[in-house]
Amino acid sequence: MQKIEAVIQPSKLDAVKDALVEIGVQGMTITEARGHGRQKGHTEFYRGREYSVDLLPKVKLETVVSDEMKDRAVEAIIGVARTGTIGDGKIFVTRIDEAIRIRNDERGESAL
Amino acid sequence: MQTNPIPEDGICAEYQQKMLALRSAFEGGATGASTVAARAQAVDQLIQTLWTRAVAETPTLGQGIALVALGGYGRRELFPQSDVDLLYLLDARVNEAAVKLSIRRVSQALWDCGIRLSPQTRRRSEAEKFEADNVEYALALMDHRLLGGDAGVYEKFADSGLPKMLEKEHRAIAAGLVSLTRQRHGKYGHTLFHLEPSIKECPGGLRDVHVCTWMETLGEIAARAEKKEPTANVTAWAAGEREEFDAAVSFLFAVRCFLHFRHERDDNTLDWQAQDAAARAGLGIPRRDADAAYWMRMYFRHARVIQRRLEHMLETAPTKEPEGLLAAVGRAAFGRMRRRPETAPVGFRLENGRAVLNAAIAGADPAQNPEAVLSLFGAISRTGAKLERASEVRISQALPLLSAHVEEGPVLWRLLQEILVGSHAGRALRTMHAMGLLELLVPEFHGIDALVIRDAYHRYTVDEHTMVLIDTLHGLETGGSTTMGEWGGRFGEILRDVQHPELLYLAALMHDTGKGRSGGDHARESAAMAESVAARLELDAYESELLLGLIRNHLEMSAALRRDIFDVETVAAFAGKVQTPEALRMLTLFTYADIAAVHPDALTPWKAENLWRLFLATANYLDRSVDDERVGARVGRDLVRRVTVLMPGRKGDVETFLEGFPERYLRTRTPEDVQLHFEQSERFAEDAVQLDFKHSPDISEITLVTPDRAMLFADMAGVLAAWGMNIVTADAFSNAKNVVVDNFRFTDTFRTLELNVSEHAAFVASVHDVMAGKIPVEKLLAARRRGRRKAPLTEVETRIDFDDEASSHSTLLQIVAQDMPGLLRAVSQTIAAMGCNIEVALIDTEGETAIDVFYVTRAAMKLDVEQQTVLRDELLKAIAANAS
Repeated sequence: MQKIEAVIQPSKLDAVKDALVEIGVQGMTITEARGHGRQKGHTEFYRGREYSVDLLPKVKLETVVSDEMKDRAVEAIIGVARTGTIGDGKIFVTRIDEAIRIRNDERGESAL
Repeated sequence: MQTNPIPEDGICAEYQQKMLALRSAFEGGATGASTVAARAQAVDQLIQTLWTRAVAETPTLGQGIALVALGGYGRRELFPQSDVDLLYLLDARVNEAAVKLSIRRVSQALWDCGIRLSPQTRRRSEAEKFEADNVEYALALMDHRLLGGDAGVYEKFADSGLPKMLEKEHRAIAAGLVSLTRQRHGKYGHTLFHLEPSIKECPGGLRDVHVCTWMETLGEIAARAEKKEPTANVTAWAAGEREEFDAAVSFLFAVRCFLHFRHERDDNTLDWQAQDAAARAGLGIPRRDADAAYWMRMYFRHARVIQRRLEHMLETAPTKEPEGLLAAVGRAAFGRMRRRPETAPVGFRLENGRAVLNAAIAGADPAQNPEAVLSLFGAISRTGAKLERASEVRISQALPLLSAHVEEGPVLWRLLQEILVGSHAGRALRTMHAMGLLELLVPEFHGIDALVIRDAYHRYTVDEHTMVLIDTLHGLETGGSTTMGEWGGRFGEILRDVQHPELLYLAALMHDTGKGRSGGDHARESAAMAESVAARLELDAYESELLLGLIRNHLEMSAALRRDIFDVETVAAFAGKVQTPEALRMLTLFTYADIAAVHPDALTPWKAENLWRLFLATANYLDRSVDDERVGARVGRDLVRRVTVLMPGRKGDVETFLEGFPERYLRTRTPEDVQLHFEQSERFAEDAVQLDFKHSPDISEITLVTPDRAMLFADMAGVLAAWGMNIVTADAFSNAKNVVVDNFRFTDTFRTLELNVSEHAAFVASVHDVMAGKIPVEKLLAARRRGRRKAPLTEVETRIDFDDEASSHSTLLQIVAQDMPGLLRAVSQTIAAMGCNIEVALIDTEGETAIDVFYVTRAAMKLDVEQQTVLRDELLKAIAANAS
């Protein structure tokens, strides 16, 4: 089982969710986040005051999928989240040792 | 004697049969009330049979022990899975140890029959004692009923012991009950709106029904104890209320039975699937296979009726309970109001935190007078006072007559405004809504009464969402909610800059009324409904446009937030929808409150920050585009038309006049104002200096229409400074023919104009003479009064920024500095002295900060870097000189 963590532009969230559901991903966790990579923030002036944006709004999407599903899931995300400009985000994949469904103690891939 | 008599399977089986029959009957359409009464009866018979047998075996049990039903069982309301509260009441003579075992065997037998018994064994003397930390026990006792056993013991308890205790302790019990109720409500956020309500514990649920009955009983006991009539006016019912209440109780009874049968345990949560099932079964409503949203709407309507009755009953408590912060603030406001000698309110008074309608005099009843009634609600909105019960009953009964007397138009708008802008508007409006008074004034509201949007996000019915939205906006006035922290403060600042808050609140009230109409775009439907309201209130064209624009666009900012807010295309598109800073401010605040009012967690700091950033970016975009967006062949045609229709036959001349003005000029003026300016521009031959002065104690306004010349803006700023006027906002625009329209809004530092009406003419004449060149402004400035300079509350650092990209043909200059008398004069004079021309000026003040935006040119071109540097130095010097 693989955990996919994708940090994406907030405006891409709906598209990414839909794309994942379409290929059969059952569940995911969404977090409102802030961050930056090479994309720098900038400073906005308003009424003489400076408001600097170092950390830009992002959305973190996490989902755990079976090994077989991983490549398709990553492609699905990239397919809709990529614009080709700096700020598109990143995807990280880690191996998951165990998954348990709290309701009925199902384990392994069937818990996903 | 048998030591362990086993009850014959017969009676248990008989009881189980009865329970099955009960369930069938209920599912076949029997009422909740009859079901719970039938169960109580079945349990009665079971207990009586078992006790009779126990006594037959052990005759000593027959003396000195009474079996008493308590709580719900005592009321003969035994829900299918509820516990059975049984009290074994012992006389003083009984040897408790001797009977303990026998009593236990009876209880055991009942448990064996599948009944969840909550038995208690108490001596009469113990049972009649009041324990301050166990108010629930005293309350359960109030619903006592003899089941069997020694009637004599019971009588002493019921006719003597208990009444004595209640008479002595009714105050403590009532106070305890109120406190427990508030605590319980607190667990549910003090709202009856939950996606999956617990129909027993939630506000508006069955517990609240019991509380109503207990409070009534305690009220009667109190009256007997104090030897007076029960406060009839407090517990009285207004027209139709009793029937509504009974119907609501009946509905909840049915729902609880339904849930008990469905869950097969004492689970009173109306979960999602249960809602669907109840709707399919047509539970409590006259049709089957209903939509779950429709069914929940009925639920919320019933719950609301119960909640209202509960609030009334809680107020009859003899002691004051701690109130929330808002109420304390309201009391403070009310206190201030009493101390200030105001004109006496018409037809009502405020007493002890209550709004009370005056008595009818000589046939004139304030309850039938719309002005009195609405002013009363205005006072409630301002101070947070509660509506006195008797007054509420009178107004409810007078509704048909009020309806006949309500006069539409500016008077109604004035009264409605006061209700909308007061900090307790939510309280006033909810009360008016519950009484049907709101729908009387705004029939459009009826379609969203208790309307349910059934999804995982919308916590509130549409009407309650509207109220919560309005509450949220008012919450920003006092510096924002504690959960939003700094964001509340920032958005609160935006709210303070709004020039027409009453329109913001009216828009809030109307924005979702369109949801009551099926089909597509509710924003459009709501705007259509608001249009008829605006017509009935006789709002002028500018106010109407602001109101309707806000409603039509109320989802646009949320939509923009879902796109990339740092992309200039997103900002430009959004700016195109709002078009003016005032509309932007209103829509920003509206969006903040709209999100917050969907669900308590919906507005996260993350969302608030993004909303703020979009607001910033759009505000800057709007200011940066003023210079380039000028009225011409293609731009602003609809705005031009609004003016030309006022002057038929002069279309060509008007269009010539308007050509070249920034769109901003037309968007921020009423067509009538623009008409005046046009007419003034035609009188230059007689008098080149055309002025229009509007005085008001808060902010006065003077507009100059004149051909452009050097030093124009600086001279106006100077003469105003000489008269001690503090400029709050100002703008300056010119058209293609160099006709200038300069507008200044200012406060009167020395109250010269307020105190001397005759000075108005002198003021205008003075301005005229200076602008006509007859008097040098320096002369006036030299002679002016200098006020004592107050130390500033916040230190504002001077900032000067140039932007060459904003406009295609001028340089944008932004100056932020400590607001001071004479500042604008110093700044504009410096600009003119450097040979620069002010194409557009946008002057604003925020607290102690002056924000001056100029589009300047020199020799009809942008300023180069060197010129900018020199100008910057000169400005800094001039500002510093003015400050000293």
